Amino acid sequence: MVVILATVPQTFPRCNTPDSPPASGSILWGMPHLNTAAVLPETIDVPTSDDFPVDDHGWNVIVWNDPVNLMGYVVYVLRKLFGYSEEKATKLMLEVHNDGRSVVNMAPREKAEMDCYALQRHGLWATLGKA
Amino acid sequence: MDRFAAHVDGVLLSLFGEEADALTMLPEMLNTVGEVPGDPAASRLTVAAYPDDPEANAEYATWLRSELEVGRAADRSAVEASLAAVREEPVVLSMGEAEAWLIVLNEARLTLAARLEISEEGWGDDFALEDMEPPMAFLHFLTYLHGELTDVLLEKL
Repeated sequence: MVVILATVPQTFPRCNTPDSPPASGSILWGMPHLNTAAVLPETIDVPTSDDFPVDDHGWNVIVWNDPVNLMGYVVYVLRKLFGYSEEKATKLMLEVHNDGRSVVNMAPREKAEMDCYALQRHGLWATLGKA
Repeated sequence: MDRFAAHVDGVLLSLFGEEADALTMLPEMLNTVGEVPGDPAASRLTVAAYPDDPEANAEYATWLRSELEVGRAADRSAVEASLAAVREEPVVLSMGEAEAWLIVLNEARLTLAARLEISEEGWGDDFALEDMEPPMAFLHFLTYLHGELTDVLLEKL
């Protein structure tokens, strides 16, 4: 969001300096040689929520199929890391095997990265993607 | 003989001497990953978490890749320690040690498979060990061990 700054009012209180009065256009105490036109932008960018990553639950933890990891091992890792039932872990493993990939969890970014790390530590081909 | 068997305190590891000898090379083999430029095992063991976002991936690697290396080194040390002990008699692995074995065996499988350029499923079907080159035969041996240990750990969940 861009905010247009109002023109600096002429009645802006000036600070007295012990020496000569500030030069025309200056409002900065002790720095009469500075001109506001040079130091104050006409516009400033005010950050909005759109400017920051919204750390919602929108990160997918994805496991991809590979020809080396065994089906039983993938089931074991999913049950061990996520506490899934045998049925759920098997369903996800079969998605990996048949569809080439499966979203095995969705979490805030930091948690999703830790999940990805744990899967990679076990040798699974794991990546992250925005939901 | 079961190389891995369920035990009340963890997992019982039993190996023949020549099997222990062969497995001794695992930590050393894994430590060579990435030493040669273009080693396909290196890219397999360090998967980009954000494949389409180099900046995010670099940040991820900064924070978690070093953790990954520390964890892998600890796993390899645990395997080396139990390999030294199992030469005398079967060893009871704690659950943590068994997990380290599971991870190291799989890393070794992934490393060998990458270097053998295995990219299609079915490589483990219908094989005859006597016709194989040593690296492929070793991959099948590791796969056998890994499957056996996986089954034991699945029973314990």
